[in-house]
Amino acid sequence: MDSFRVTFRAATVAFLLGGLWGGASLHAAKENPPIGSISPERVADYVHAVLEADRTIYTTHIVNRMQEKGIVAATEHWEQDNALPLPAQFLQHSGRLVAESGRGIRYRLIGFSPIYQRNAPATEFERKALEVLRRQPDRPITGVVSSGKKQYFQAIYADRAISSACVTCHNNHPLSPKQDFKLNDVMGGIAITIPLE
Amino acid sequence: MTETPTSSPPGTRWGLKAKVILSMLLVGVIPLVVGLGMAFWQGSQEIREVSGESFAALATEAARKLDLLLAEEIAHTARIANDPTIIRALEQRRDARDDSKKSTTALTDLEQRWRARDAAAIKSITDNPLSTLLHEYFTGVHSAPGQLLPHVVRSSTKMLFLTDAQGTLVGTMTDHPAFRHQNTQWWQGAFNKAVGKLYIEDVRFDDQVNAYVFSISLPVMDSLRYEVVGVLHRVIDAKEFFSPATHVTRFGKTGHVMLIDTNGIVVSCPILPTGVPLSDPKLIPLVTPQHPGWVQASSDGHGGQSTSVIGFAPLPETSRATNGSIKNGSWHTFVWQSSDELFAPIRHLFTWVTAFGAVAVVLLASLGYVAAGRIVTPVRQLQQAARSIGRGELRTPIQIHTGDELEDLAEEFNRMNQQLKAAFAGLTDQVKLKTQEVQVLQQSTDQILDAVPTPILLIDAHEVVRYINQAARESFKVQEPMSGASLFTILPLDQAVQKKLQAEFRTNGDTSSAAAEIERETVPRDPLVPCADHESAGHRAELHIGSRIYHYQWFRLPARPGEEDSIGLVLRDTTDESRLQDQLVQAEKTGSLGVLTAGIGHELNNPLFGIIGLGEAIQEEQDLEHIRTCARNIVAHGRRMATIIRDFTGVTNREAFDKQVPVFLEQILDQVLATAQTTVEMKDIGIHKTYAGQTPVLVFPDQLRQALVNLVTNAVQAMKGTGTLTLATAVSDHTATATIADSGPGISKPHLSKVFDPFFTTKGQGEGSGLGLTVARRIIRKFGGDLRIESVEGRGTTCIVTLPISSPMSPEGGPWTASASRSEPQPSHSS
Repeated sequence: MDSFRVTFRAATVAFLLGGLWGGASLHAAKENPPIGSISPERVADYVHAVLEADRTIYTTHIVNRMQEKGIVAATEHWEQDNALPLPAQFLQHSGRLVAESGRGIRYRLIGFSPIYQRNAPATEFERKALEVLRRQPDRPITGVVSSGKKQYFQAIYADRAISSACVTCHNNHPLSPKQDFKLNDVMGGIAITIPLE
Repeated sequence: MTETPTSSPPGTRWGLKAKVILSMLLVGVIPLVVGLGMAFWQGSQEIREVSGESFAALATEAARKLDLLLAEEIAHTARIANDPTIIRALEQRRDARDDSKKSTTALTDLEQRWRARDAAAIKSITDNPLSTLLHEYFTGVHSAPGQLLPHVVRSSTKMLFLTDAQGTLVGTMTDHPAFRHQNTQWWQGAFNKAVGKLYIEDVRFDDQVNAYVFSISLPVMDSLRYEVVGVLHRVIDAKEFFSPATHVTRFGKTGHVMLIDTNGIVVSCPILPTGVPLSDPKLIPLVTPQHPGWVQASSDGHGGQSTSVIGFAPLPETSRATNGSIKNGSWHTFVWQSSDELFAPIRHLFTWVTAFGAVAVVLLASLGYVAAGRIVTPVRQLQQAARSIGRGELRTPIQIHTGDELEDLAEEFNRMNQQLKAAFAGLTDQVKLKTQEVQVLQQSTDQILDAVPTPILLIDAHEVVRYINQAARESFKVQEPMSGASLFTILPLDQAVQKKLQAEFRTNGDTSSAAAEIERETVPRDPLVPCADHESAGHRAELHIGSRIYHYQWFRLPARPGEEDSIGLVLRDTTDESRLQDQLVQAEKTGSLGVLTAGIGHELNNPLFGIIGLGEAIQEEQDLEHIRTCARNIVAHGRRMATIIRDFTGVTNREAFDKQVPVFLEQILDQVLATAQTTVEMKDIGIHKTYAGQTPVLVFPDQLRQALVNLVTNAVQAMKGTGTLTLATAVSDHTATATIADSGPGISKPHLSKVFDPFFTTKGQGEGSGLGLTVARRIIRKFGGDLRIESVEGRGTTCIVTLPISSPMSPEGGPWTASASRSEPQPSHSS
């Protein structure tokens, strides 16, 4: 099981690094303007596509199959339970790995009714974006936000309950404020933040 | 119940009663002990299982509770970290530092003053707006009415301070903290490369607050939650913080919940002080896995070495943040109860069951005693009865009424006793009858034996006389009670005879010699060989006791099995018999003499009458010629008479010499021939001699000569004037053989067997006495030789004389020896 986990993590890192290549090249392009430019919207779109694909593959081809075959389940305290991380945790942890890599691009899951308060929208922009996304989930909300003197491009994509694992966990967790999620509901969004410097 | 002593002494073996009691006890005690042991074991096992499961559940529950407690505390702290004022202030600090490095010198200056604990510098930080804000949060100014920090939390918080993104102190509630923190583990863990992460520090001793503390470090994110702009650090007294939660969970006297970290350091425990490690390091890996459970360990972690049941569970959410990640450390609850207390119920049960068991054993023993008594008493009765039956003394029937097999057995005993009695009665009569018969037999045997006039003695293997009959008693004058007397005390015998008897006795009374003796007695005795038996008298089975002579005979008497055979000795008084026989011999001799005298008279009468007649004729005869003729006839008659007389004297004459002398056999033969020629007409007889040289023999020469003269005379007379006389000698190993053969008519078969009989003769009256051969044989036998006659009718007769050769001869001898030297030996010649 440990070896499986190591393999899985290695695969995750590989996916993400591959996905982030675009971002990295964008960064390089900024320092070397002659090659041409790429809009942050496009970059966020690329990153989001990779994130979605990775998580979908993880959810459908790893978690679901492992659980169906009864080999190993995905649980919240997967470290203690010797289990798989939940798909949402998969995204959050990979986001932390990306952040810790120091590339500048960050992403995280935010929700209106998060289990942990740290995953609530942090800014007014995020809150409003989620409101919009709940109604119009197809298009991301983008904009430039600032922290002090620093400016960032932020794109927020609607995030649906793609698997029953998401719904079950949120509906059963003691800390969850909303417990009536259904499959394919918009549960929140993925916020991708790209520094503008 | 009476204690009758059994036949064997107690102690050497177990009686039936003891065995019955013992087996009842064993039957009761063994299942009791086994059941008790198994129940105790099973009970302990189940208590262990149940307690373990309960402890694990309790540990899990406590872990969740503590987890929530910490989560709540983190949430409280997070509210400070999320305060927009603080975020803004820290963002400004970040931006300001990014813009220019101007403030660096001022900062360094401030740091030095803070370290020097300059009052103004301290005040500039502790009183700045951020510090004030922290204070306000701490005291609950900014909290909603329901979200006031509990008093416990407030009092347990020993430090609360804020650093910027460089780890520099920007606000603090107390003056304890250091100025720069960017090198501390908690700061780096919480800053986490500007990404930020909750960091809970393990328990450690803090010198500033003089207590065991743990800390919560929260990153302060910028307004976008993009990066860390500062770190909020809170130091909490572990004991004070956790004791309200852990100390309330007590069960029994010793059961409690405690909180430990991965290294086994106690975070909070109602018994152990915070900060000390578990007493047994081997216990730590057992109780700190990442999942809840229970374990049976060889120590309790509280200094005890008894086997303990310990429940444990990790704090799931908190463990993720301890020392940065779950890999660097985790916190666990630990639920334990002293095994003495845990197993007290089963011990009580065990004690009680043991007590009841003891009572049961006592009951069993007493019941066994009673039951054994009921079984053993009739059995003992039966035993006594059996012994009485064995002695034939059981008169009254056995009385046992137990109504079971023992009663049946008693009845069988009674029946057996009756049958035995009946059988014994018949047997006794028979024995009496047989005994009488035996007595009668013995008496008659004794009477018969006593009536026998022959002395009979029975002797055992040790020469002790066992029986002696009437005749023997009288003969040997034995007093009536003779007990164990030896044979030779009864028979007064000299030593030599005793030895001989003993030798015979040892060969178990071999009577062969006696039998041979008896056989010899049947052969008719030669009356002229009166002493023939004397030479074997020493071997005869005769005993001379006193004046009497006894012929004795041994016989074997088969003994009863297991005893040695007896030997019987029969003595026959032959004194009278011997006397009678001697008289008979004398009479025979006298009779023979009469015949002899008659023969002599007859023989001598004829020539004598002739001589008388011739003498009368001469008286009146004048014719001289006639007288001369008569005279010649008288001479012839005289010669004949002389011959007759010599014949007789040869029989009766005793040898003048009483000593045998060595002579040569051939010389004797030549002299015999010469002598014979003087008495018988041998003119027409051819003499053939074949000598083997000079053969020495030891004899009385006269007697041998007489014997041989008889033989030669017989031979010549048998040939009736014509024929061939052959004289021969031969030598073998120790024997010299002289052969005298004639060519006469031979002897017929019937006569041949009688030729050695005395007075047997084929010659006419007056021609032979019939004693010649008898005398010859007797003489030759005396010299140790023998005489045989072989004859074939019509071919002649051969007399074969064998004599032992004497040792190399000494030349001195009798007159014949001297004369022998004169005559020339003639190897062979005929006339």
